[in-house]
Amino acid sequence: MTIVTGKAEARRRVQPGRSGALRRIWQHRADYAYVLPAIAVMLIVIAYPIYYTVELSFFKTPPGLQLRDKTFIGLDNYTTILTSQVFWKVTWNTLIWTLGSTFISFVLGFATALALHRDFIGRGVLRAVLIIPWVISAVAASYIWKWIYHSDFGIIGAVLVGLGLADQPPNFIDNVSTVLPSLIVVNIWREFPFAMIMMMAGLQTVPDQLLRAAKVDGANAWQRFWHVTFPHLRNVSVVTMLLLAVANFNSFIIPWIMTGGGPSNASHIWITHIYELAFGRQRWGVASAYSVLLFLTLMTLGYFYVRALSGNERKEGSA
Amino acid sequence: MTRIALGSAVLRGTVATALIASLTSTSALGAPPVDLSKWSPEYVRSIAGTQDFDTAADCAKVTPLDYKGRLTFWYQGVFEGDPDLLRQYYKDFFETFRKTYPNIQLEEQALTYNDLLDKFRTALLGNAAPMAVRLQILGGTEFASKGYLQPLKPEDVGYSTEDFWPGAMKAVTWEGVTYGIPTNNETMAFIWNADIFKRAGLDPNKPPATWDDVVKYSKQIHDKLGIAGYGLVARKNAGNTPYRFMPQLWAYGGGVFDEATPNPTYEQVQLDSPQSKAALQASYDMYVRDKSVPVSALTNQQADNQPLFVAGQLGMMISHPSDYNVMLDLQKKATGTDKDKAQTVIDNMRYGLIPTGPDGKRAVVFGGSNIHILKPEYVEGGKVDEPAAKAIICMWTSPEWSLKMAYAGSNPGNLNGFKTKWMKERLDNIKFLDVTTSMLPYGIPFPALPQAPEIMNIIIPDMLQNALTGAMTVDQAADDAAKRVRELMGGL
Repeated sequence: MTIVTGKAEARRRVQPGRSGALRRIWQHRADYAYVLPAIAVMLIVIAYPIYYTVELSFFKTPPGLQLRDKTFIGLDNYTTILTSQVFWKVTWNTLIWTLGSTFISFVLGFATALALHRDFIGRGVLRAVLIIPWVISAVAASYIWKWIYHSDFGIIGAVLVGLGLADQPPNFIDNVSTVLPSLIVVNIWREFPFAMIMMMAGLQTVPDQLLRAAKVDGANAWQRFWHVTFPHLRNVSVVTMLLLAVANFNSFIIPWIMTGGGPSNASHIWITHIYELAFGRQRWGVASAYSVLLFLTLMTLGYFYVRALSGNERKEGSA
Repeated sequence: MTRIALGSAVLRGTVATALIASLTSTSALGAPPVDLSKWSPEYVRSIAGTQDFDTAADCAKVTPLDYKGRLTFWYQGVFEGDPDLLRQYYKDFFETFRKTYPNIQLEEQALTYNDLLDKFRTALLGNAAPMAVRLQILGGTEFASKGYLQPLKPEDVGYSTEDFWPGAMKAVTWEGVTYGIPTNNETMAFIWNADIFKRAGLDPNKPPATWDDVVKYSKQIHDKLGIAGYGLVARKNAGNTPYRFMPQLWAYGGGVFDEATPNPTYEQVQLDSPQSKAALQASYDMYVRDKSVPVSALTNQQADNQPLFVAGQLGMMISHPSDYNVMLDLQKKATGTDKDKAQTVIDNMRYGLIPTGPDGKRAVVFGGSNIHILKPEYVEGGKVDEPAAKAIICMWTSPEWSLKMAYAGSNPGNLNGFKTKWMKERLDNIKFLDVTTSMLPYGIPFPALPQAPEIMNIIIPDMLQNALTGAMTVDQAADDAAKRVRELMGGL
């Protein structure tokens, strides 16, 4: 809320020659003063790192030299990235990781939310239990799953061998074909409760009278879901999926702790590859160029997220 | 317990003469404290406990004990694979330092081997590094060549360059200037479970003589008992991988460059040589062809091999003498029948020399750590308290503490540590120490190049993983690694 004092009003009157935008800023100077500290902090901790990363992406930073000894090479880092085989492999991994994790987490979360929306004994307990994976630290979860999957003495392998279902423990994370799907399973296990909570909140907004009216009109369960429930959840679904996609694109902890991107780069996604390039191999320039590409991708997703949110607001405003 | 053969009476006589010569010479006279040409387990035993050192008095000459200051210090500390005994010595060191220098405000931070380099590099970029740091041996030249470190030699903290292993001094020297002091130096040994050998039809008291034998024994153990034969480690970004693969590479006559020769030039990349490929082929044979090593080798580090070994599920591995203490610690934590099983493994634990290559060449990584002082411009606050930094460096690299901090795992960086009473006590308490001291003369330092961490922590493990997962053939993986090293050395 803006409180306009008499003095401020008087000052506004004595600034006749200002252009429109400047005048509006001057008129709202008190508002700007309130948000100035936050803007200053954001400029230091967000804007400057972004600027510096973009700048660094145009420089060669040989691993044997200090960062200050960098040399300007224009777009060479971007060319290096886009023409390297590893980039396309890592990009493919990132797409599988992001789309697989996002879509399956959402579907599983939505299905669980629908199941928990019904009234039954123990619903509260079940809700609490299902949220546990989401509240567990990702680092702890990664270590636990690493042991569950362990190719020699993991729990899954021991159970399968014990029950006579396999001769040898399955190789989950030491195999180039199975490592990424195995990590996606862990990610889904950790993320689906988030989708569940979002969709449960969304389900609360579906008008009960509409569902009852549809039932009176003879609509079966599927028809009620498809024609009444789902349209009401469209916006929350879009927002949930976008949030999941952004989180997955940026997801570092699970792949890094469980496999470090291996074996043979089979579980490297953009963010882990950037980390290795920067901190393991000290290719700060190339890593920065990668980061700029990642930033642009995430900004695109962010744009759609904001659009989805404003779409919601417009709808609510017109309702 | 397997002991190294004592040698002939003639050798004893020579050793005794060397001992007398060694005892009569002192650092003050400029002669080395230990005669490395006479190095043998017997020689080490003969000099242990022959000299007393007063650490506080020695360090007081470098930094007065009442000196008032502040020191930020990072160090590669103990981790999950280390024995409890070592944890206690680290605790004791910092307590003793605080008592010895009560007016130095010490802010120390321990980091694990695998995390330290990344965190230290990041801190340097933000000019937020600590005033002093203890790094793994691989890190010295990287940071010295980039100009982050201050020149620092043993003489600056009251010791002599001859008090330290020549190979270790190379790792802290860049373009003729010394930038640090070795704290400890290590060579690993070959460990096997005699009971597993016996059950697999092998001679329980005879370790594999060559790496080809390791491949053969590993297969025999796996085929007969259904357990892993050799504890292969091929994890990326983990120090354990090069420490276990490089001895194999060198034994076959290969190398990254010519680092295994007496005077390396590091000019020719040799990772794609037939000898290097033969070493990689041996790992491939064990992992892919025979399936005789842990499947989890690609994500394992040595700390993952230890529980396998104590559970009797692994026949052979390369490690420190401290693994014996680790097994004792693990056995204490076991319950029920697991405790008895672990005891059987401990009773059957044997140490021997690391196998040779086809031509009889034996090699091991000459590892360890160094301690350094940073330049003020890279330190948080822009100031380095040099007297405080030298105080902690003097203490850590003293004969007493360089021995105690390496008590169970490796060897003192300061050669005078071998003469202390704690060395004598250690020889009585730590089993199999003789074997690792016997391996020291076979030690080969990593290439003293700024690019060495990337080569050892990333390119070598990538080469192994590419070959072992089938992503590339053995030839392709070795060629790819050699190409990457050439590109790296060319500044790409």
